[in-house]
Amino acid sequence: MKKEIWFGLSIMALVVVSAFVLLPPFAEMKNGHLGLLMLALVVVAIMLGFPTAFTLMGMGMIFAWIAYRSQNPSLAVDQTLDLMVQRTFSVMSNDVLISIPLFVFMGYLIERANLIEKLFKSMHLATARVPGSLAVATIITCAIFATATGIVGAVVTLMGLLALPAMLRAGYSVQLSAGAITAGGCLGILIPPSVMLIVYGATAGVSVVKLYAGAFFPGIMLATLYIVYVVIIAKLKPHLAPPMSAEERIVPLPPVTQEISNTFSDKVLPSLLGALKGKRNAATPTVEILKQLGIALLPLISVALLSGVIFFKITQPLPSEVVEGVVAMGGAIEDEPQEEESSNSSELQEPQAMGDLKSLPGAFEAPQALGGAVEAPAVAASTTAASSAAASAEEAAKPAEVADVGERQPAPTGFWIAMGVVAFAMFVFYAYFSFARLEIFKMLLGSFFPLAVMILAVLGTIVFGLATPTEAAAIGSLGGLLLAAAYRRLNFQVMKESVFLTAKTSAMVCWLFVGSSIFSAAFALLGGQELINTWVLSLDMTPVQFMILAQVVIFLLGWPLEWTEIIVIFMPIFIPLLPHFGIDPLFFGLLVALNLQTAFLSPPVAMAAFYLKGVSPPQVSLNQIFAGMMPFMAIQVFAIVLLYMFPAIGLWLPEVLYK
Amino acid sequence: MQNILLTIDKISTWVGQLFAWLIFSLTLMISWEVFSRYVLNHPHPWAFDVMSMMYGTLFMMAGAYTLSKNGHVRGDVLYGFFPPRLQAGLDLLLYLVFFIPGVVAMAWAGFHYAGDSWAIREYSNVTADGPPVYPFKTVIPIAGGLLLLQGLVEIVRCVICLQQGEWPSRIEDVEEVDVEKLKEMVNVKDSDIAKLDRYVVAGQGVQK
Repeated sequence: MKKEIWFGLSIMALVVVSAFVLLPPFAEMKNGHLGLLMLALVVVAIMLGFPTAFTLMGMGMIFAWIAYRSQNPSLAVDQTLDLMVQRTFSVMSNDVLISIPLFVFMGYLIERANLIEKLFKSMHLATARVPGSLAVATIITCAIFATATGIVGAVVTLMGLLALPAMLRAGYSVQLSAGAITAGGCLGILIPPSVMLIVYGATAGVSVVKLYAGAFFPGIMLATLYIVYVVIIAKLKPHLAPPMSAEERIVPLPPVTQEISNTFSDKVLPSLLGALKGKRNAATPTVEILKQLGIALLPLISVALLSGVIFFKITQPLPSEVVEGVVAMGGAIEDEPQEEESSNSSELQEPQAMGDLKSLPGAFEAPQALGGAVEAPAVAASTTAASSAAASAEEAAKPAEVADVGERQPAPTGFWIAMGVVAFAMFVFYAYFSFARLEIFKMLLGSFFPLAVMILAVLGTIVFGLATPTEAAAIGSLGGLLLAAAYRRLNFQVMKESVFLTAKTSAMVCWLFVGSSIFSAAFALLGGQELINTWVLSLDMTPVQFMILAQVVIFLLGWPLEWTEIIVIFMPIFIPLLPHFGIDPLFFGLLVALNLQTAFLSPPVAMAAFYLKGVSPPQVSLNQIFAGMMPFMAIQVFAIVLLYMFPAIGLWLPEVLYK
Repeated sequence: MQNILLTIDKISTWVGQLFAWLIFSLTLMISWEVFSRYVLNHPHPWAFDVMSMMYGTLFMMAGAYTLSKNGHVRGDVLYGFFPPRLQAGLDLLLYLVFFIPGVVAMAWAGFHYAGDSWAIREYSNVTADGPPVYPFKTVIPIAGGLLLLQGLVEIVRCVICLQQGEWPSRIEDVEEVDVEKLKEMVNVKDSDIAKLDRYVVAGQGVQK
């Protein structure tokens, strides 16, 4: 107890003393040196534990007054007061920070919608065959939920309550379980929409839109690396993460589908269609079968709709340069994100999809008679039919314009190849689509897809420039309200709590901004910035050396300080140096975001570990949790190196979108 | 004494919570504006100004509320290890050195800043034909005053803590991570958690 205090106080004393020793004596001190002294003092003052916003405000005021007094003593007080109030007002009317309360509000609402339990269960079943499935499901759940809410503490606590017992019961090692939960819970800090990137954007003057576009793939990459690590561990050392037994994997079927799968086969599509027209379905009402069929066909319908939209876009007869950009994008997003994005349209199109059903079964009847193997062309046919139908409908809608503009562009070969791949993927999907999988799909529909759709919709509108981050955040909050209402969790109590928490969190972040903007103004007035600039330049470093130095400094600062403090106080010092080394502030921001995320997992200050300890069984020690976090921290460092080696991971998307 | 402190706490809380509802109206307003612009094709030029005014008022007025709930971020690496008396002593010192001068200066400067704005009936120049700005600027001295009042309460708390060796109580408020509530939300009981211990112990046995 006493030891820590003396250790801490001696570190502080060391910083102050070394500041005085390294700087010239008081009499010869210039303003710039005072600036450096101020920087050393503020680190000490923050470590003393006083609310940082007011430490910065008070210290900034004092040093601003000193700076002004050295120029003109008679005006110093007035100038200081002016500076303070102007800085405050500029934070109050900052058009970047305004999205912070909105995203925070959205996060609290989604957290209270209580999706996490369903999400975890459905993820667990969906990944049942993957080695280390529970840990994989944990990481995915954490990543999605943390992204949507952005509240590390709540996510780690909730997963500690849900996933930790499940993993321990399944015989997972404590370390691996704890590591998966803490590492996954911290992903929300990086994957947009995250508050950290807004704070960085506001401090560094980098467009938040670009930061979001840039952080998307590094975030996904990090989550993927975690999953890969867990799968490898589970494969190599099965005693740390034993696979699920067969009976645990069984999904109980509701009576309706149970009956159908008994009388027909286990494959959803053939047996449902068979049940629809056959005579053996006496026990089950047709409406029920149609409903199941509708759900089963949702992926197909959404894929068909999406390809229709893409087809229509790329064959748009208007300016040719637009066409090329869209083709590149279209080809790229074709494969993976489609599954997720398509659910976007599936949500909206549901009523229409029900209508479509009547025509679709007809299309399927012929191949049904021939057997499952011939389904592929049918899928392709219906897909293309849908796309051309959509296209021709649009064309018919505006005949006058078509006459002026001329013929549609022919769809490029790449599109047809991609279409073929998608059709084949759909075929494989339906070939393995059993009734158990249909149940899992339904569970995902109720937990995973709403969240994924919301995140992607918010991000998509920002990244594709349809709405500003502020607008998207507001719509996201509204979406959060609707989501909470849809899950019957929205009442006055929940609303009130979310509103009050939002006020407190935004006040915390924004007052910190008030303090730091006064502080950094004083720092600039004293000329501390120039002193640092000349010093760093005199070291004659290569860009790589500078980059490594900067990241190491930020990493070290991550121990005593919080990420908010590091960004608002130290980024203004690093950012002006970047042009000298030809480093893109956007790229730097992505590295910093990854780096600060590592700080969340670095013992002994990692908050995530303490949250998890708070809800774990007494026998789980803090050291076990820390030990579990270490491999994941190593993965993060690896991810930083990867991003540094291949900047395209982060910069590709912003470059494609905002040339 | 404790009554006075709690009364001021209540005032800060009440004001902060009142203005907290701005987030709700901000959400609705921006959503409506987006709808109006993209669907009805009818943007409102004043929307941008009103948005930032709502946001600015929201966080400024919540400053004292947050302080009263001890919600402003602290560098708590060491602070958490300090005994209460040392915490109180350091806090007291820094309240007097940083907080009081800083907030007094801000409120004072804000008072004149807003006064100038009232005198010329200033209108926003961010957009053409902008809304009046002077009520918004008035927020600075009001928020500063409230914060100062709450700061004085915190100073008294530090003194009480120095005398008694422990921190006086605060009014409870909604917490970001309320473990009990979260447990209730996902239906986990303490006894369930305790039962898990045997798995932990068993797991260790296997590894060794």
